Amino acid sequence: MSQPITEQALPQTPKEKNVLQRIYTIINQNNQLKIGSILLLFLVLIGVFAPLLALYSPTALGDGLLVPPSAEHWLGTDKLGRDLYSMILYGTRTSLMVGFVSAIISGIIGTIIGAYAGFYGGKVERLLTEINNIFLMMPTFFLILLVAALFGNSLIIVMVIIGLTGWASNARLMRAQALSIRERTFIKSSIAIGEKKSFIIFKHIIPNGIFPIIASTTMNISGAILIESSLSFIGLGDPNIISWGQIVFDGRSYMTSGWWVSTFSGFMIVITVLSFYLIGDGLNKVINPKLK
Amino acid sequence: MVFLNVKKLNVEYYTKNNSVHAVQDISFQLDQRDTIGIVGESGSGKSTLAMAILQLIPKNTGKVTGKIEMKSKRLLDLTPSEIREVRWVDIAAVFQKSMNALSPVHRVGNQLSDIYRLHEKNIPHKMLKQRIFQLLDMVNLPSHVYKAYPHELSGGMMQRVSIALGLMHNPKLLILDEATTALDVVTQTQILKELMELEEKMGLTRIMITHDLSIVASSCKKVAVMYSGQIVESGFVKDVLYNPLHPYTKSLIKSVPSLKGENRKITAIKGSIPDLSKPIEGCVFAARCPYAKEVCFQSAPENSELENNRAVKCHFVKGGEFVWEEGKQTIV
Amino acid sequence: MANYIQKRIITGILIIVVSIVLNFTLIKLSPGDPIRVLSGQDSPSPQMQAELTAKYGLDQSVFMQFINYVGNLAKGDLGVSILSNQPVLKMIMERIGPTLLLALTTAIIALIIGTALGIYCARYRGSRFDNIVSGSSYIFDSMPNFWLGMMLIMIFSSSLGWLPTSGMVDLRTNYTGFNYYLDVFKHWLLPATTIVLVTVPYYFRIARSSIIQVMSEDFITTLRATGMSESRIFNKYVFKNAILPTITVFGINLAYIVTGVAIVEIVFSWPGMGSFMLDAIHRRDYPLLMGIYLLLSISVAIMMIIVDVIYAYLDPRILYKER
Repeated sequence: MSQPITEQALPQTPKEKNVLQRIYTIINQNNQLKIGSILLLFLVLIGVFAPLLALYSPTALGDGLLVPPSAEHWLGTDKLGRDLYSMILYGTRTSLMVGFVSAIISGIIGTIIGAYAGFYGGKVERLLTEINNIFLMMPTFFLILLVAALFGNSLIIVMVIIGLTGWASNARLMRAQALSIRERTFIKSSIAIGEKKSFIIFKHIIPNGIFPIIASTTMNISGAILIESSLSFIGLGDPNIISWGQIVFDGRSYMTSGWWVSTFSGFMIVITVLSFYLIGDGLNKVINPKLK
Repeated sequence: MVFLNVKKLNVEYYTKNNSVHAVQDISFQLDQRDTIGIVGESGSGKSTLAMAILQLIPKNTGKVTGKIEMKSKRLLDLTPSEIREVRWVDIAAVFQKSMNALSPVHRVGNQLSDIYRLHEKNIPHKMLKQRIFQLLDMVNLPSHVYKAYPHELSGGMMQRVSIALGLMHNPKLLILDEATTALDVVTQTQILKELMELEEKMGLTRIMITHDLSIVASSCKKVAVMYSGQIVESGFVKDVLYNPLHPYTKSLIKSVPSLKGENRKITAIKGSIPDLSKPIEGCVFAARCPYAKEVCFQSAPENSELENNRAVKCHFVKGGEFVWEEGKQTIV
Repeated sequence: MANYIQKRIITGILIIVVSIVLNFTLIKLSPGDPIRVLSGQDSPSPQMQAELTAKYGLDQSVFMQFINYVGNLAKGDLGVSILSNQPVLKMIMERIGPTLLLALTTAIIALIIGTALGIYCARYRGSRFDNIVSGSSYIFDSMPNFWLGMMLIMIFSSSLGWLPTSGMVDLRTNYTGFNYYLDVFKHWLLPATTIVLVTVPYYFRIARSSIIQVMSEDFITTLRATGMSESRIFNKYVFKNAILPTITVFGINLAYIVTGVAIVEIVFSWPGMGSFMLDAIHRRDYPLLMGIYLLLSISVAIMMIIVDVIYAYLDPRILYKER
C-alpha cells in the first residue's frame, strides 16, 4: 500500500472522450458501482422532483389518522394524518443534504490536514498526526449527541458537527498519499524550482492523491446519513424538517397498530446508505484492483 | 543426456474478456549442470515460463500446454500430490523480491524448519535444528538469523536466506527469477559468486531469469532471449552475446552501457512490446525492428537452427549470418 | 517496547485531556449561562445558583474554573445528576452491568460468526455462497440498527408472539434459578440478534479482505513452490497473518461497545446505559451526559493502549517500524 494511488492507476481512457463518457466507462467496470449509481440516480431524482411526485403536502394534516397503505395513501398515514408517501419523498432531500454537506466538510478538512502533515514531515507532521490519532479514537457519536443536546437540534448544527468530527480517516489516507507523492520526481523538481509549498500542495499533492479520499468520502456520506437518522431517532433531530429517522422514531409508538410508519421510512434509509456504500466500495476496487 | 526438455510450451492467461498468450511455443533443452539465462524485457513472458516449469500457474487463470520433461518425468502430467513431491526436492526456486519471500510474522528458523520437514518428515528435532544452522552457515549467515523475523534482516541477508531455502534439499534444478535484481551491485556479485561455488559442489542445473545481460554474461553458459512470449534467439553465451544475430538481441546489447572499451552510444529500443491478447501475423518484433521489411509483417519467421545449438527466429538470418540487403552483410 | 508503550500512553492521556477540555468548552460555549446548563433548569433557584457557583468557582477566572473542574474530576467527582441528585459515577456503575452483558456477548458472537464467514468466503471466493454472504453484508451494514430492531420486534414479538418486546426480565413474574436465566435469555435474544446482524458484516469484510490480501503476497508463492499443502499454508501462515487486523478492530470496538449498543438498548428498553442516556437527554441532565462522555473517553483511551500492546506482541513488525 505504499504505492500512491493516482490517476495512472485508473484504467486508461482516451483523453478525447468527455467527462461524462469517462465517468460512464469507469462506472461500467464494476457491478457495485453500477448498482450504487443507479440507486443514487433514482434517489436524486426523487429528491429533485419531490414536489411533482408528492400526492399531498408533506405537512398537511389529513383526516385519516394511521390509515394503512391504500389507493389514496400509497404508504399510509401517520398519527397526525400526514401522507407518508409524500413525507418520505421530501425526506430524501434531508438525508442527501446531510450526507453530502457533512461528508464534504470532513473531506475538505481531512484532505488539507493530511496533505500538510504528509508533505511537511517533521514537527508539523508529528503534531498533526497526533491530533489525527486523537480524533480517530474519540467516541465521536457521543460527542455529536452531546453537542446536539446542548446547542439545540437544528439541521445545520448537526451537519457541521458530523463534518467536524469525521475528518480523521480522510486525513490519515491523504497523509499516506502525500508521503509517497512527495518522493516523486515531479514534486522534487517543483521544490527545486522554488515553488511555494502551499502551491505545490494544492497544485500537485492533492490532485494526485485525491482518489482514495473520494472513495472514503462517499463512504462517509453513508455514515453521516446513519448518524443523522440515529439522532432523529433519539429525538435530537430538527423538528422543523422532515427526516426519515424522525418518521421511524414517531412510528415506534405504533409498532402494532401502524407498522407501515416505520417500515417504509427505514427502508429508504437502507437504500440510501446502501447506494453510497456500494459506490464507495466500487470506487475503491476500481482504484485498487488488488482488492477484488 | 538431456536433463530438462521443454517442448512447445504454451501458456495462456484468461481474463474477463480475452486471453493473453504469454508464452508461445517455447522449446529448449538443458543437460545436467547446465546454466541458462533467460533474458527479456518485463512482460516478455520470462517469469511466466518459470512459473510454468514450477507448475505454479493457477488452473482457473491460466492454461499450460506442451511438454516439460525432467529426466523421465513428464511434469505436466503429474497429479497434485506427485507435483508436491517433485517440488523443492527436484525443482527449487529463488524468487524476486526476497524481502517478501517469507511470512513476516513467523521467525526465519521456524519457517525453514517447517519447509524442511515437508520432505523429510521423520527428522528428529535436534538434527533438524542442526541442519538449518548448517544451511545458514553454508550461505554465510550468522546463526542468530534462526531466531530473527524477516524484517529484521537486510535485503542481502534475506536473499541468502532464500538461497539457503532453495538449496535445502539439494534440488537438481534451481530456478532464479530476478533473484538478485533488487540488490546493490557489490552484494549481487558476491552472492552470485557464492552461488556458483555451491552449484559446482552440488551439481545443480540452473535457470536464471533476468533482464540484466551482465548477470547472464558472468554466470551462465547458455542464453535464451525472449521477446513477447517467444524465444527469438538462443545458444551459448559466447556466441549469442558476442555475435548477436537477431535484431532484438542486438538492440538489447546496445541498450546496456559498457564500462570498458570505447564510449559508444547507448540506444533505447523504441516502442513497446505488442499486445499479446491479439494474434500477431508476422514477426513479433517487426513493429519495433529497424530492419523490418514487408515480409516481416506478413509471415512469422522460421526458427533457423545453426551450428553450436544456436537458433534464431529472423527472416534475414541465413547460414549463420545476418543478411539484410541482397548479397551484403550488414554490420550494426 | 517500553518506548512504544510510552508513546501509546501519551496518546491515551491526550485523548482524555482533549475530552476534558472539550467537555469544559462545551459548557462554556453552550447558549445561555453555565448555571442553566449545570442545573438543567431555565430558572434555577437562587440557592441552587449559589451552590453551583461555589462548587464550580463560576465567579473566578476561566482558567481557575478549568483547574477547579479538573480538580473535581481527579477526585472522581464527575458531577451530580440533576435527575436523581446522585453522583454521576455511582449512577453509571449501577447501570453498566446490563449494558456490558449485552455488549460483550454480542461482540464475541459477531466476531466469531463474522470471522468464520470471512475466512470461508475468502477461501471459496466467487462461489455462490460467497456472493450471497458478501451481498447481504452490504445490506445489513446499511441498516440503521434501531430500524432492524423494530422490524424484529414487529415480526417476532408483535406478529408471532414468540419473544418479549422489552426489558431484561419479565417484571410480572418472580423467577429464580434456571427460569430466571431463561427469562433473561429470552429478553436478550432479540436485541442481541439485532446487534449481531449489524456487526457481523464489519468483521466479515475485514476477515475476508485481509485473507485475500495475504493470499496474494509473495511468500505464499514461495510456500506453494516448496510443496506445502494448501491447507497447511492456510492454517499456519495465512491465518496468523490475516487474523491480526481482525483482532485490532475487535479491541477498538470493545472500547465503543457502550455507545454501540446504546440505541438498540433504547429500542428494546434494555435497562442499561442507553435508556439511561435517553432519559438524560430528554430531561437535559447535562452533568450526567458529560460524565458518561468522559468515562467513555477514558475507557476508549485505556482500551486503545491495551489493544496496541497486544498487537505489538502479535505482530513483530510493529515495534520495528516504530523504532
